[in-house]
Amino acid sequence: MSRRRRRINMPRQGVPVTTARDVAQDPSRGRRFNIKTEVVVVGSGAAGSVVAHELARAGHEVLVLEAGRYYPSSQFTEHLGDTINEVYKDQASQLNSTADVLFVEGACIGGSTVIGACVMHRPPNSLLEGWSERHGLDQMTPEKLAPLYDEIGEEQFVHLNEAHEINATAHKVIQGCEHMGFRWRPVTRNVRRCALTGHCLAGCKPDRKMSALVTHLPWAVGYGAELYADTHVTRVRIENNRATGVDAVVRDPDTGDTVAEMRVDAQVVVSAGGAIQTPLLLQRSQAPDFSGELGRNLALQPFTQVLAEFPEELYGFRGALVGVQVDEFLESDGFLFYSALAEPEQLMAQGDQGVGADHINFMLRYKHLAGLNAFSIDDGRGSVSWDGGVNDGRQIIRWNPSRKEFNRIKQSASLAARIFFSAGAKRVYMPTYQRLEVDSVFDLDKTMDEVDYGLRGMYTFRSNSFSPQGTCRMGSERSRAVVNPNGELFDVAGLFVADASLFPEPMAAAPHWTVQVLAKHVARRIEARRSSLFI
Amino acid sequence: MSSSESPARTEAVRQAAPLSRLTRRRFLRYGLIGSAALAAAAAGSFAILRRSPVDAIPVAEGIRNLGAGEYHLFRRAIEVLLPTAGTALTPVEEVPVLANIDHMMGLLPAHVRQELGTGLALFDNAAVVSGFHGRRFVDLDDQAAVDYFDAWSRGHSIQRALNTVIKQFVYTAYWREPETWPPVEFDGPVSDDWGLDYLGNAPLPREDQA
Repeated sequence: MSRRRRRINMPRQGVPVTTARDVAQDPSRGRRFNIKTEVVVVGSGAAGSVVAHELARAGHEVLVLEAGRYYPSSQFTEHLGDTINEVYKDQASQLNSTADVLFVEGACIGGSTVIGACVMHRPPNSLLEGWSERHGLDQMTPEKLAPLYDEIGEEQFVHLNEAHEINATAHKVIQGCEHMGFRWRPVTRNVRRCALTGHCLAGCKPDRKMSALVTHLPWAVGYGAELYADTHVTRVRIENNRATGVDAVVRDPDTGDTVAEMRVDAQVVVSAGGAIQTPLLLQRSQAPDFSGELGRNLALQPFTQVLAEFPEELYGFRGALVGVQVDEFLESDGFLFYSALAEPEQLMAQGDQGVGADHINFMLRYKHLAGLNAFSIDDGRGSVSWDGGVNDGRQIIRWNPSRKEFNRIKQSASLAARIFFSAGAKRVYMPTYQRLEVDSVFDLDKTMDEVDYGLRGMYTFRSNSFSPQGTCRMGSERSRAVVNPNGELFDVAGLFVADASLFPEPMAAAPHWTVQVLAKHVARRIEARRSSLFI
Repeated sequence: MSSSESPARTEAVRQAAPLSRLTRRRFLRYGLIGSAALAAAAAGSFAILRRSPVDAIPVAEGIRNLGAGEYHLFRRAIEVLLPTAGTALTPVEEVPVLANIDHMMGLLPAHVRQELGTGLALFDNAAVVSGFHGRRFVDLDDQAAVDYFDAWSRGHSIQRALNTVIKQFVYTAYWREPETWPPVEFDGPVSDDWGLDYLGNAPLPREDQA
């Protein structure tokens, strides 16, 4: 079967999206309506947008359903608080079960690509070789994935930061690394003519960041894909071991009230909601789980932010948010460091910022601060589960650091502090739940000894996760993996996963680029099997 | 008679005893929030013994999501955490900190909101016994309140959690307001001021254009 590409009709700005308000104002739909399509994609972020573009370009009818709202860049205010209210999942309060690790996730058309820091990291070959060898993923070798990395790199304007994209915070990191003899390099980012506003976390108002909002989604729409916002997919319908579509609820994004119930009949269902939402959807759908691995193997890539105060004024919050990375320890220890200092509000999530006069003095030195985000690889021991009924249950994310992981986080934070002391910092603020300041590198070890593992490592380091992964891992063996090397569930034809859930083992590098590569891979495997998947 | 020797304190210690008897295994089984609920139940009982003058102060109009006890707790926490008078910072009275906290509370998922309410009650009431203050947090003087926060930041898991949550609500509610930024020289929104052009959607990939 061959299809011709449809005529391109790509919007110059924004994306046509059907919202809850549109549904409510359209009497022809009623409170329940049906849609028939070839492919339904759940999630519109890094993975879902790529799948939508690929399959729409191949001539398929594609419908994208996004639980979050549509928040176009024309409405961005460069105000983090506004953005958190509008587009961060649970207003940036998505937490693990002990409420001490924050999972930052975008909940909007474009998903986390809208609020990400533009970091694109191509992982070392050793990672992909390991995935390939240990999980029977012949298509995941560095050689076979290289063309997909290159394609995404070109589509996303990925480039090495130029000199003007290295801000004062980054220069302090460079200085420290040079003194320590650590390897550093400019970060690769997906941004076109970066305007250096420093507001990445609040969305890129002038449309320089290559988020899905301005790339794969409008491109997919150009080929006829349709987008729905405010549409929460409750379950995938599975009949006789075959996906036949999804059930969804359209909700008012401000009140949460149900506007309509939607039934989508589709020949292919692609779940691309990320490593938290995808396993939850499959669990709600009672998808077969022969391996018992669905929702397990959650890796966080936890990171902490070490802040340092310098004698001179840096204004380290100005310019490109992320300038350089320190990758000296990436393959040896699983540590990766990125320079970054964001809005005042963001600092409050990174450590104990003092009480009263102490806090005020700290904030008055804001322009003297630099920040270094310390990522450390974890072992993928967490889990995600859905507790309760399809409509009234709730998600539970279980992750607390093992002693080994705790020590890694501690070591990475200590290394970040040493880099700053080597650059001349007069004080370093540690990313802990207790107030910890260090005024000399000679006091660092003694101070860090105050951070005790305690009870399951709870409330020790202020860890965040931007990059959960691994909860529907891919592999060739049905007894060890959730999806096969094509991204399709082992026991459900036509049901695919295309996001960071697929990662068979944790990765230390920023995953955005790899997520998009895997999404492209899955989309192309779907297209390669079109004669068996589509009527 | 000092407050540490008062009958009220003795009674409070007795009622808080269930928390101290929790073994590690039981703590793990019930979880953090379960333990907090247990402690708050005890604390809630001795709150009756330790009424505060602030309890009689009405909650401000427009507050929709904070309970009366939570309102008074945050009102006091704001005073303690952000003593802006005489500093270069924007006076805290000019920033809608309480209103912002109330708004953020309203956005929380129901189960998180419920658990948080339990924890806030614990934080307020536990001051009766924790640190031998003999009074609720809302009635501590400034230095005692600062010390209370510092002690909880170094305490056990529940204490560190609540110390963090309260600070984060207060500080976030303050620092998210643009009028707080000039004193720390944060620029805020810049695109319009700089006259940046809007690039719109990216061009189609080369393969699509072929």
